[in-house]
Amino acid sequence: MSFLAFFFIVVSLLTFVVAQLILKRAMEATKTAGFRNAQFLWKVTGGVILMTISFFLTLGLLQRFDLSYLYPFQGLSVLFITLMAAVVLKEKLNARLAIGALLISVGIVLVSMS
Amino acid sequence: MQNRPSGFGNPWLQLALSIACVLVSEFLLKRGATEVAETDSAWSWTGLNGLASPLVWWAILLIIASFISWLYVLRYIPLTIAFPLSRVVDILVPLGCWIFLGELISPLRWCGIALVVTGLALVAKPIAQIEERL
Repeated sequence: MSFLAFFFIVVSLLTFVVAQLILKRAMEATKTAGFRNAQFLWKVTGGVILMTISFFLTLGLLQRFDLSYLYPFQGLSVLFITLMAAVVLKEKLNARLAIGALLISVGIVLVSMS
Repeated sequence: MQNRPSGFGNPWLQLALSIACVLVSEFLLKRGATEVAETDSAWSWTGLNGLASPLVWWAILLIIASFISWLYVLRYIPLTIAFPLSRVVDILVPLGCWIFLGELISPLRWCGIALVVTGLALVAKPIAQIEERL
């Protein structure tokens, strides 16, 4: 794998993780203030832009690599999002959820290796 | 997770719908992207040339549908639970290839699938208990 491919894989993963966190914040804002508030609109727009960037980068990667090859990186997103949701969004993260996320990640890596 | 709607508005049903849309879109994207692949062009790193395939457009429609369901899910379910559960799609893809396309699954891949299922069970168990109490 070239440096360029690694770079695009990392960028597509990071944009995806950050997008999920922003979208979660956006939807939380709707609980108190409904859908017609600036907070929601800005965050949902930001989240959609980041998801779109991640989507097209993935499409570019799919043209070069098998879906099964790109799987481990999708697997990592489970760990990243679970940890970031606990740190950034202050969601409860107990040992059961953390181990569950870890097993899912490792499982996805194994699925892609074979 | 309190005061959540039931019926079609049930966030768990929406999560399942979102997963189903992603699953189908993954197959469409791979087939569509491969159909129009021009890997020697530098522009193709952006993936934009994938838009030449109608399958990619169908996939985009499904992704939009799954995205709307996903936003709805995020309103009610914590990300630490919803996101790991959504990755069930990562074992449904190889299982789908095995069942519908007759592809073989190696022992290592079966181990991976078993780990994912165990992880999903760990994440989902507390939810099942919460639901029972409601």
